[in-house]
Amino acid sequence: MGDLQLSLERIFHWLESWPISVAVRESAWVFPAIESVHVIAITLVVGSILIVDLRVLGWASRDERVTHIAGSILPWTWGVFCVAVISGFSLFAAKAHTYFANFNFEAKMVLMAMAFLNMLVFHLIPYRSVRCWDIERPAPFLAKFACAVSVTLWVLIVAMGRWIGFSIEG
Amino acid sequence: MLQNFAQWLSDTPPSRFIQDVLWIIPAVQTIHILAIAIVLSAVAMIELRLFGLIGRNTPVAQTAGRFLPWLWWGTLALAITGLILITGEPGRALTNPAFQLKMALLLVALGVTFAFHRSVRRRSARWSGASQSMGAIVIRIAALVTLLLWFSIAVAGRWIAYAVVSYGGT
Repeated sequence: MGDLQLSLERIFHWLESWPISVAVRESAWVFPAIESVHVIAITLVVGSILIVDLRVLGWASRDERVTHIAGSILPWTWGVFCVAVISGFSLFAAKAHTYFANFNFEAKMVLMAMAFLNMLVFHLIPYRSVRCWDIERPAPFLAKFACAVSVTLWVLIVAMGRWIGFSIEG
Repeated sequence: MLQNFAQWLSDTPPSRFIQDVLWIIPAVQTIHILAIAIVLSAVAMIELRLFGLIGRNTPVAQTAGRFLPWLWWGTLALAITGLILITGEPGRALTNPAFQLKMALLLVALGVTFAFHRSVRRRSARWSGASQSMGAIVIRIAALVTLLLWFSIAVAGRWIAYAVVSYGGT
């Protein structure tokens, strides 16, 4: 345990010494600029996932095939998600120690891991039979359940992300 | 005058209430961000369709008809949550140059969206053929400018937190 803590400590020190990390800490505009990119990316990730979730739940776009919506939107979601991860990591690296010890940050990471697992379950189990409920038929319970979980998790992820700003000083 | 109004507003009971209950501001900001997720994603879907990057087999009017209601209802949610945030922190918003810029950009974006909505409703056939016609390049430029316009509103919104000297980075 002591070894792990020591190596984490070294990694965080190293991250915080990066030029981008120094710029995020010391410049007046670099932090808000990267934060703006992060917020726009996250809103697009959440909004686009919501379109797919609401379709599977049968609350929107019922006249469109599930496979068509998922196939045309989710590649964009992944692209924008990469932007969110890179911008988010730049903010994290600037104050790795502080974020790592922050409850809201930890909760956000745990919720993201849960969203990832939920997505795996959705794609590996109910989505395999999507041809049977692609259009006109309601999705099976497990598919709807996974999408309801997805909506809930992403709402909580946004909330925890916003709360980080209120629980970290300076 | 704006400063006097902000001062007066911050002394009213609703403003006092929001100031005293510490979780209201982050909670309302979270709902505000979720509404931004809906609005920006709806805008992105329409612009991607105009670019021909998504759902090329779906008529423009149908894509617009699917996402414009989300855009308008999302904007209403933004207005309501925005008013709550202004009531709670009038000095942070009303006299803030980032906030004023945001409102100016928002007026332009709403005007553009309203004009698009009217046009697509009255001349849906013309919009459907638009991606193949001579007007395609003009439409693509307009779509890109509109998307960037909505992004800039989000950036200006995030910058409200940094354009006020007395409030730090939340």
